[in-house]
Amino acid sequence: MSFFSEERSSELKDLFFESAAELLQALNDEGLKLEQRGADAEVVRETRRTVHTLKGDSAACGFDELSTLAHELEDVLTPEIAARSNGKLAEIVLQAADVFSAMLAAYRAGEPIPAPVSLRDQIRELVDKPQAKNIVPYKLSGHFAWTEYEQMAIQQALLRGQIVYNIALAIDPGCPMKAAAVQLVRNVLAETGEVLAVFPDSSVPPEQLDVIEFCLSSSQPAELIARKCRVPSLISDVLVEPHAAALAEQPRNHIVPTAESSDDSDDVLGLADTAADGGGIDASSAAQNSATGKLRVDADRIDAVLNLVGELVIGKSMLTQTLSEFEKRFVKDPLRVKFADAMAFQARVLNDLQKSVMKIRMVPVEQVFRRLPRIVRDVAKSCEKEVVLQISGEETDLDKTILDALSEPLSHLVRNAVDHGLETPAERLAAGKAAQGTIRLNAYHQGNQIVIECADDGRGIDSYKLVSKAVQNGIVSHDEAERLSDTEALQLVFHPGLSTAEQVTAISGRGVGMDVVRAVLDKLKGTVSIDSKPGIGTTFLLKVPLTLAIIKALMFRVADRLYAIPLASVVEIARASGSEVHRVDQHEVMQLREQVLTLIRLRQLVKPGPMLASKKIFVVVITLGDRKFGLIVDQLVGEEELVIKALDDDFVSTDLVSGASILGDGSVVLILNLSAVIARLGKAPELTEAVTA
Amino acid sequence: MAKDLQLVGFRIGKETYGVPIRLVHEIVRLPEITAVPDSPDYIEGVINLRGKIISIVDLRKRFGEARIEASRKNRILVAEIEGKMVGLIVDAASEVIRVPESEIEAPPEVFEESEIKYVTGLGKLNGRLVILIDLTKILQKGELRRIGDMAPALA
Repeated sequence: MSFFSEERSSELKDLFFESAAELLQALNDEGLKLEQRGADAEVVRETRRTVHTLKGDSAACGFDELSTLAHELEDVLTPEIAARSNGKLAEIVLQAADVFSAMLAAYRAGEPIPAPVSLRDQIRELVDKPQAKNIVPYKLSGHFAWTEYEQMAIQQALLRGQIVYNIALAIDPGCPMKAAAVQLVRNVLAETGEVLAVFPDSSVPPEQLDVIEFCLSSSQPAELIARKCRVPSLISDVLVEPHAAALAEQPRNHIVPTAESSDDSDDVLGLADTAADGGGIDASSAAQNSATGKLRVDADRIDAVLNLVGELVIGKSMLTQTLSEFEKRFVKDPLRVKFADAMAFQARVLNDLQKSVMKIRMVPVEQVFRRLPRIVRDVAKSCEKEVVLQISGEETDLDKTILDALSEPLSHLVRNAVDHGLETPAERLAAGKAAQGTIRLNAYHQGNQIVIECADDGRGIDSYKLVSKAVQNGIVSHDEAERLSDTEALQLVFHPGLSTAEQVTAISGRGVGMDVVRAVLDKLKGTVSIDSKPGIGTTFLLKVPLTLAIIKALMFRVADRLYAIPLASVVEIARASGSEVHRVDQHEVMQLREQVLTLIRLRQLVKPGPMLASKKIFVVVITLGDRKFGLIVDQLVGEEELVIKALDDDFVSTDLVSGASILGDGSVVLILNLSAVIARLGKAPELTEAVTA
Repeated sequence: MAKDLQLVGFRIGKETYGVPIRLVHEIVRLPEITAVPDSPDYIEGVINLRGKIISIVDLRKRFGEARIEASRKNRILVAEIEGKMVGLIVDAASEVIRVPESEIEAPPEVFEESEIKYVTGLGKLNGRLVILIDLTKILQKGELRRIGDMAPALA
């Protein structure tokens, strides 16, 4: 295959890895479906189609180990075997998905390919005749379902007395550049006659084509056309038949074998395959059609556009600022109104533009939710629990970066819910519950945030046990423990190194802990909160911003410095006098209506040390997880949309600041990372006789 | 003919220093600097350089200069160090210096033994001494170590 360059080849492989990941996800889904209704012939066929595509694609990229295995798997994916395999087939499909995924990872990393010995043995057991077949090129049958319009063209050609052929070409699965192959046969056919119709049309990426069908009017004999179309190593099989209106609806299996085609004696089975394949092409082309008009774009390109929009937003605030200066200076100038109108118009368009670009980055939560059923199944199986997973709100859109980051925490929560949250069937029955536990996943919008809920109806978290363990591990002191409210006690779950399970199991003992879940959410400027009732269940709420690029923020001054915090975390702003501030233990608190608020003096960020209390203070009330705090600031500046820029270099990186932004006047404002600020300042105001003074 | 080395010369205290001209993107006056909490002493903060946020290091503090005076002559050297833009505050900077390679001497022993390995050579120019420095060393290793030193103090 010298005609195709290295660069093209690596591009092809990238494309393959991308599509293979999707195929494996589909395979996982189908494996689970098989497990639920194994005898369903449609599910078996669906699975088979997925494996088939994977086989073809991997062969095209030269990944022979994978394509061979896929081929072997394909052989056992028949409704008959499924019916007598007694659930074994589903198990194999799921295992195969794992093996394929391991193989892909190895190909990607250029490492040796793991040999799927045990899987192969299991597959062989299922097959009657255990001899492994070689990779057979696609068998061919045309289905020639031309559209009405194409039918008309065909009829007209027939009326003109021309001979019309239906031609089906199987593209060699080993052909690395299908696009070129398709173009080549098009050219060949155009030389022989007039191409009346092509299926599928050019909207289907050639890489995904196995078979292409033409309708050709030509004066040349069928044999000659067939010979011309047979391009070695591009086209593995050719079918040419005269078109007849009556024949069009009936599947015909007139196969003209090529030299390479190994049409051996068990062709009866082969033909059955062909029929299934024909259906497969039909269905997948339907799926292709629904995907028409979609575009795969590099995320970097979208980010570049998003960046520019960000600059525009900064530009807008520069203009607004200048305009307000102008208005002050020329109060009576009629130009003011015109300026204001233009500004309003521009602001509206910019707002729409920003939303549109944001939307490009949005993907449905389903992309992550889809992975969870498999996890639930595996964990439930290994700890012998019965679980139903209910998923809703999967169509909710979320920024891709955020969603990707949420994937690990969500898997962890679900794993935890099955392993620790739910009781064993026996325990459940004893508690008067259904033997089968339920895990609910839900996603929905809430203002500028997305909420993802993960709830189980299990035993709930024993907060007493949790607290005593925390005391045992020295995380909280005895005194502190006594004063913890239930909600506060539950927060201990997020403390590093605290697990409520009596023994660490293989399942939740690995990977990320709850503290990591919280760390991820912090990083995303989101929150995680927990609600648990003993005997009834536990619910985790993950809240994340819609996007990471632009936030609505509240700005204020502390010691003449400008800071911003996400508006989403602000509950209210209160004024208080110094005398309302009380000292309890290490904290400063104040009473706001029914609530006692812990106060944080942000001045400590600038100048640590004792400080003077002013008579009147501004208290910005924020929520962090389930808790509320009051931030004491000097002066409120206002709300603004901020385009977040990272402070990612080594010199100034600090966990106290999550990013920076540029204001209309060109000055830089720092966006505070609230959870870090509170962790740092929440416990240590080293004051102060001054407060009481 | 020997090649000339093109340097951006700047002053800190009484000394003249030089860095290769290709590392310096531009020289700007001091704008308003936004301080970042929790950062080391010699980090002044961040500035907005035409829409980009870059960190500002006070090179005078870095060199342990005792007297730091704000002056209209103060400048920020915007340099690219290992792919990242950093602003360096210096007392004054304006000239491009050409030093013939033959006029550059290796740093004296006393420098090599000490911690200060960022001096790469000494250039002589009409009786003036120009200290050639390696910005990467000043800002990478040194800073990182210093930040590391500070961590226990903050905890």
